[in-house]
Amino acid sequence: MTRTLKHVVLLLIVVIWVVPFIALVTTSLRSETASKTSGFWTAFTPTELGHRFGTHSRDETEPFVSMSGNIFDRLNAERDSFDVTGEVKSILFKGRVPDPDNEGNTKLIRKLIFAGEPMDVRGGEFVFASNGDFIWTFAEATAAKPKNLDAFINQDPVFGTDAYVEVLFENKNVPNALISSFIVTIPATIIPITIAAFAAYAFAWMRFPGRDWLFVVVVSLMVVPTQLAFLPVLQGFSGIASWATSLNAWMTDCELTQTCKVASKSFASLWVTHTAFGLPLAIYLLRNYIVGLPKELLESARIDGASHLQIFTRLIIPLSVPALASFSIFQFLWVWNDLIVALYIGPADSADLVFPIRLQKQLGTFKDQLHLLNASAVISMIIPVIVFLSMQRYFIRGLLAGSVKGG
Amino acid sequence: MKLTIGKAAGVLAAALFAGPTLADVCETPSTLGDLGNFEGEVITIMGSIEGTDEEMLTNTVSCFEQATGAVVKYSGSRDFAALIVADLRSNNAPNIAIFPQPGLAGDMAKEGHLVPLGQESADWMAENYGAGPSWVALGTYADAEGKEDFYGFAFKMDLKSLVWYSPEQFEDNGYDIPTTMEELIALSDQMVGDGNTPWCIGVESGNATGWTATDWMEDLMLRTTSPENYDRWVSNDLPFNSPEVLKAMEVYGQFSRNDDYVAGGSSSVATTFFGDAPKGLFSSPASCMMHRQASFIPAFFPKKGEELTNGEADFFYFPPYASADLGNPVLGAGTLWTMTKDSPATRAFFEFMKEASAHEAWMQQGTFLTAHKGADLGAYATPTLRKQGEILSNATTFRFDASDLMPGAIGAGAFWSEMTAFANGQDAQTTADNIQAAWDAIK
Repeated sequence: MTRTLKHVVLLLIVVIWVVPFIALVTTSLRSETASKTSGFWTAFTPTELGHRFGTHSRDETEPFVSMSGNIFDRLNAERDSFDVTGEVKSILFKGRVPDPDNEGNTKLIRKLIFAGEPMDVRGGEFVFASNGDFIWTFAEATAAKPKNLDAFINQDPVFGTDAYVEVLFENKNVPNALISSFIVTIPATIIPITIAAFAAYAFAWMRFPGRDWLFVVVVSLMVVPTQLAFLPVLQGFSGIASWATSLNAWMTDCELTQTCKVASKSFASLWVTHTAFGLPLAIYLLRNYIVGLPKELLESARIDGASHLQIFTRLIIPLSVPALASFSIFQFLWVWNDLIVALYIGPADSADLVFPIRLQKQLGTFKDQLHLLNASAVISMIIPVIVFLSMQRYFIRGLLAGSVKGG
Repeated sequence: MKLTIGKAAGVLAAALFAGPTLADVCETPSTLGDLGNFEGEVITIMGSIEGTDEEMLTNTVSCFEQATGAVVKYSGSRDFAALIVADLRSNNAPNIAIFPQPGLAGDMAKEGHLVPLGQESADWMAENYGAGPSWVALGTYADAEGKEDFYGFAFKMDLKSLVWYSPEQFEDNGYDIPTTMEELIALSDQMVGDGNTPWCIGVESGNATGWTATDWMEDLMLRTTSPENYDRWVSNDLPFNSPEVLKAMEVYGQFSRNDDYVAGGSSSVATTFFGDAPKGLFSSPASCMMHRQASFIPAFFPKKGEELTNGEADFFYFPPYASADLGNPVLGAGTLWTMTKDSPATRAFFEFMKEASAHEAWMQQGTFLTAHKGADLGAYATPTLRKQGEILSNATTFRFDASDLMPGAIGAGAFWSEMTAFANGQDAQTTADNIQAAWDAIK
């Protein structure tokens, strides 16, 4: 009984988590109009949607008595892909007719005209069939202006990868953002984990005065909010950058011009900032793991004459792989998804923007083009998903590691 | 299910082999003067301009790059207001900052982060811009000691008093373009009677939510009270909760808080993205008949403004009351380009912005209006823009966007948020009292 309940709850959680993802992927594979006018759940079955089509092109001004055409041809003439197919249900008729209640006045009527029923368009008789064929006849040859009509079409599902092609190849923004994100994320993961591993070993197994107090200080640094530090950190980088610029000028003999200028907002600034803010948690997690390793193992290594460095590289690192891996996942995901630090401290050149900033910019540009935004979002999600899936074996062991002593 | 991979490959090939086609942006009716040679110099610009406008900006500054050899790097962000403050205070200033709001530029001038452009530039602008002295006033701020200087160079203007509509819808329904506010209200009522919805209104805009509503308020202030009262309102000599302001707010409420008037009902006003609101004109079937918004809005139409050239969309002037006798007031705004880090190349860039050719380069691309008298009107990309340029010059009263002129805490703060609260059902008196209280708090 409890087992069934557990499964139901689990299933529910999975559904809650997966539905938004399905929505994202589905929308990214739909056409712009479809994604704008109907929910993603309607994408898999024929759905009735309104489409506006023009009877003929504005260039055709020849008088005619009768004109025939096809609504789908007219609709699809304007689009490169996501061709509309299906069944025309009705056309919305709007126009003024003499008002029966009010002599001499007109009133606006709106009504749905179904396939086969005649309808008055610009004085001619307009009839359409559900396969989209229409015929427009006048009593005598007329140079009728084109007319845009609203057709309700029971539309077949259609999917395409156009949105992905557009965001990936239309310009270099998204590919550049992917590369920039890697440039930022990989060092910003490796640097803190390297430093933290050394520090964690020292806190766990080396004796020095004030060790516990220092550890308390490091742990309490976890509560410092990043946002609070932006101004002083930026001022610091600005100072370092101007010092580096003069050093550069002195060493390379370049004049004090833009060519030897060192930027204060750069990828390196991001590495340093992410390292600094990632270290407290990293040290805390790794120290708690390393302190739980069997004491006898380290003591016998010591007796055999191993130095601290040998113990660290030969014993601690191999034994701590699960903890190291699980922290890398944390740090990788955090840096990959970070927007605010990159916005304030990272490089501002269009080519160097990281993925979250690019997505945010697209929110401004494509706010009305959900399919493009969603395609970018899916691309940005794929990398963390790959990282997570390839390392999840360690992740679970790393999480359990702290709880089972003497393992 | 039908995958269109074949077509996708075609698009891909086209994208890879299509060369840049915008080289001729710099070929303008006026010729560019000599600006000097700044080979290899880098000018950094920060602003809030993004999307299509960002492309046009980049194209326009490329003319400066071609002429001088300098490299211009523009970075645009919707969080400009927050980022520029951090950058200026932490000594990381770009060369040029483009302020969409004079309020914030004034604050930064007070903190000493802006470089004065000099009396010469101010004189040039007074001389060469239509309504020049008011543009100079817009860019003049006090520094820490209270000394006033000219800092903000207005470039790229918007016209706000416009109502957008679909000519085809008006034709189908037999509606005429109203020329007075009375006619506009009568037309709105007629539309309701016909079963149509007259207006699309949306004020959602991320952390700037509410600014669309302040534009409505300003336009209605100019139509219900004198321009002198408008100026006194901007400086708060006329309190926010005075009868004149309340009246304008009541009129705005008649439009925006009337469920029959607004597509989606009045409760949708606060949650509709301002760029999505005009799409109701073109949806199938149309969800509204009219949309009051500034000249930039066609960029948000479904076909990105192509509607104007193929006759699917047009605009008319947001008319004044026939009974009020206040002339033809026009509301507008402009972005202000300020120097935040001095360099010879940056100074040359400001000289570039005085060239008619620089204005024409952007006019040719669209969504750009200018008050530069020397710029060739023929350079406007479309007859629509030209028509807007003419409204700009036919105005009997021209006033700047009030929320841009008010202190940042009001014009980019309380005014926005309280108008959003007004859209959500807060009454006019409370709304006005709250804004006035916020203003009293910063005095």
